[in-house]
Amino acid sequence: MLKINNLHVSLEDEDKEILKGVDLTVDAGKVHAIMGPNGSGKSTLSYVLSGKEGYNVTDGSVELNGDDIMELEPEERAALGLFLAFQYPIEIPGVGNMTFLRTALNAQRKARGEDEISATDFLRLVREKAATLKIDSDMLKRPVNVGFSGGEKKRNEILQMAMLEPKICILDETDSGLDVDAMKLVANGVNALRDEGRGFLVITHYQRLLDHIKPDVVHIMADGKIIKSGGPELALEVENNGYSDLLDEAS
Amino acid sequence: MWLKIPIEVRSICILGQKNSRNYTQCDSLLIGDKCGAHTVPYIEVKNNSSRVEHEATTSKVDDDQLFYCRQRGMGEEEAVALVVNGFCKDVLQALPMEFAMEAQQLVAISLEGSVG
Repeated sequence: MLKINNLHVSLEDEDKEILKGVDLTVDAGKVHAIMGPNGSGKSTLSYVLSGKEGYNVTDGSVELNGDDIMELEPEERAALGLFLAFQYPIEIPGVGNMTFLRTALNAQRKARGEDEISATDFLRLVREKAATLKIDSDMLKRPVNVGFSGGEKKRNEILQMAMLEPKICILDETDSGLDVDAMKLVANGVNALRDEGRGFLVITHYQRLLDHIKPDVVHIMADGKIIKSGGPELALEVENNGYSDLLDEAS
Repeated sequence: MWLKIPIEVRSICILGQKNSRNYTQCDSLLIGDKCGAHTVPYIEVKNNSSRVEHEATTSKVDDDQLFYCRQRGMGEEEAVALVVNGFCKDVLQALPMEFAMEAQQLVAISLEGSVG
């Protein structure tokens, strides 16, 4: 589903290479986790996949269901089914959560040649998805992420994910800044979206999220590359021993 | 169509009554890097018991906000329109309906082709 092949990425402004040959394939229905020390390039990977400006792809390719996405605009990648749950969700003053959701959903449908969603269908869908994430109607009316607590912002990301029904979901440190209860709520929301037609790339620092979102594959990223891949036990190994053994092994 | 001339906004307020009060707030939102905003409050006070205040803010449409909207599927122009309408919302909502609708249409027209 998502095929990253020898991806080399540098910063646009400086001549600094951040990703140094990332190889990764996420099949439909699978959950892949990426862990790694700070500065390993995990967030850069998520930004490059979603099309954020400021990065130059100097080599390699990324395919989503066979389509090369590196030349596509962010909204084109979204319409193909790519979703990024931001580590720091953005505030948009004056724009209601519902308005934002509906505009986004209709924009994607239009790009795919589908009809816009009707108001009644949209309301029904929103209420259904919001209820499972314990998002009340008050929060739905508030401007997007404005004054939201950390937990509320992350739950809002998952609500958007649920509404947009993406094919590949990249979760960029979704558990950062969350207490255990908020994290469980978010994890439940993610698990509810697990589907044989959907792949997940979960970027996290802490093994604890992976207790709740059980991955099929765990990758360790360091210095711009994936240095080791394994099953869920690899995450436990990192939790117990830290990264230094693995870094030594790689060099 | 980029705005190539700086926009000057004048507010005019004339305070005649005793103990009258004025508060003028000017918020500018810059789109792109070729425009500027100049706010010129004009407040004429005709008695010395009036209270006058003026406040101005200038901000730019945030690249992060645009990327957030685009990552959710909106095109660049649609994203800018959404953010700008949110910015104007408080003022537009306070206008009588006829003016509010016309103002909203004006915002949409002035944004057309202003991006890219």
